[in-house]
Amino acid sequence: MEFNSFEGAEHWPFILKINLVLSLFFLVLTLAFVALVIYLRIRKNRMEAYRTRFDRKLIEFFNHFLFDEDFKRAAELGDFKFRYLKTAYDHKLAIKQVLIFDENLKGESSEAIKELFNGLGLYKYLLSDLKAKAWYRQARALYALSKLGIKVPEALVTPFLHSNRVELRQQAMLYFLNTSQENPLAFLDDLDRELSLWQQVFIENSLINFDLEVPDFGRWLNHDKSSVVVFCIKMVVSFNQFQNIPLLIEALDHTDEGVRAQAINSLKIMEVTDALQLMTANFPYESPSNKRAILYAIEKIGTAKDLRTLVSAIGREEENLQIDYYKIATRFENEIPVRKLINPDNITNDWADYQYYSKRVLQGA
Amino acid sequence: MVIEDNPMVVKSLEFKLSKDGYDVVVAEDGRTAMKLLSESAFDLILTDLMLPFVSGNEIIEFIKSECPDVPIIVLSTSTQEDIITEAFTMGVDDFITKPFSPNELSLRVKRSLAKV
Repeated sequence: MEFNSFEGAEHWPFILKINLVLSLFFLVLTLAFVALVIYLRIRKNRMEAYRTRFDRKLIEFFNHFLFDEDFKRAAELGDFKFRYLKTAYDHKLAIKQVLIFDENLKGESSEAIKELFNGLGLYKYLLSDLKAKAWYRQARALYALSKLGIKVPEALVTPFLHSNRVELRQQAMLYFLNTSQENPLAFLDDLDRELSLWQQVFIENSLINFDLEVPDFGRWLNHDKSSVVVFCIKMVVSFNQFQNIPLLIEALDHTDEGVRAQAINSLKIMEVTDALQLMTANFPYESPSNKRAILYAIEKIGTAKDLRTLVSAIGREEENLQIDYYKIATRFENEIPVRKLINPDNITNDWADYQYYSKRVLQGA
Repeated sequence: MVIEDNPMVVKSLEFKLSKDGYDVVVAEDGRTAMKLLSESAFDLILTDLMLPFVSGNEIIEFIKSECPDVPIIVLSTSTQEDIITEAFTMGVDDFITKPFSPNELSLRVKRSLAKV
C-alpha cells in the first residue's frame, strides 16, 4: 500500500494504526525527555550563575562588615537581610559563607562573624531547620551550629542523640563536643544506642585536637551501653586516670565479654598487678579470646606462679591456648621448663602430662 | 602580591590590605604568580603553600631566584613543625597559620615592609 495522505486512515490495517500510535508516543516521550534534560541543564546553569553572583555579594558585604570601620553595621545588616535574604537557598548560601569565614579567620573577626550570623537572622533560620521534618536539614543545622560553636537550647539537640539516623546522632555528638566547654562528653549520659568504633575514634580525636576539657571517665564505667564502657576504659588509659583503677578491676566481672576484654588489656597496659588475682580467678569461666588476653597480661605483669595456676583451666582441646601458654612460659624459662615437654606433633597428650606435672609443682611436690 | 586560591581569603586580604593603603595584586595559582613575578616588581609577597599547578615551595624558590630581597610571608593551614621549619630554611620572613587574625596579619605585613 502506498502512503499518500491520512485520508481514509480509518480503513488502515489495525497493525499499521498501532504502529503509528506507538511511534508518535515514543517520539513525544523522547522529545519530552530531551526537553527535560535541557531544562534541568539551563536551571542548573542559572542556579550556578546566581550562586556565584550571590557569593560575591556576600563576600563583599562580609568584608565591609568585618574590616570597614566606616560601615554602619546595624543599618546595613537590616538592609542586606531585607534585600537579599529571601529564599531558603539564599539562607543556605549565606550560612555556607559564614562557615568559610569562620574557618579562616580568628580573633576579633571571629566574634564579628557571630554578630553577622545573628544579625542576618541565620540563627533563627537554623532553629527552624532543627525543627524541620527533613533529616538532612536537621543535620545541616547541627553541623553549622557546632562549627560556629553557637549554643541552642539543649532540649532541641538532645533528641537527635536517639535518632534512628546515624548522621543525626553523629552531628548531635559533634554539636555537644564543640559547644560544651565544661563537660563536652556530658551527652554520654543520654546515649541509649551503642557507640560505633568510628564514633569512639571521632570523640577521642576531638578531645585531643580541639583541646577539650577531659572529663573523669569513671563516671561512665557503669553505663548501660557496653560500647560506652569500652570507650571509657580506653580513655582511662589514654589520659592516665589512675584514680579509676578500682573501677577497671570491677569491670573484669562485667556481664559483657567485650568490656571484660578491654578491662584486661587496659589493666595490663597500666601494669595493675592487683588485678591479677581476679583475672586468674575468672580465667576458667572466660571466653577463649579473653583467656588468651589474660595469659598475655600475666606475661607482662604476672609471675611464673600466676601462669602455672592457669594450667588446669586450659582444656586438652584448647590447643591454641596451649600454644600461647607455652610461648609465654618461655619468658619464665628458669621457673617453667616447658621446652622439654613440648612435642609439636603430640601437643594434646603432652598437655595432659604437663597439667599433671604443674599440679604437682604447685602442690610443692 | 597575594598568591592564594581560596576566593574568600583572596577577597578578604585584598579588601583588608587595600583598606590599609596597599596596592594589591592577586594571583590565584602558581603559574599566574610566576608570570606576574617575571613581569613586575613587588614590595612583598603573601603566599599560600597549597596552590594549583605549582607548589608553594616551588613558588618560594622562584621568588628567591627572581627577586631575593622581596620579603615573603607564608599564609597556610599547616601547623606541622617540619613544614614551617622548611619554609624558614628556604628564606621566608614570616609564617602565619590559618585561621588568621586579619589585624595581626596587617601588623606583620607592616613590620616586614619596614625591614626592607
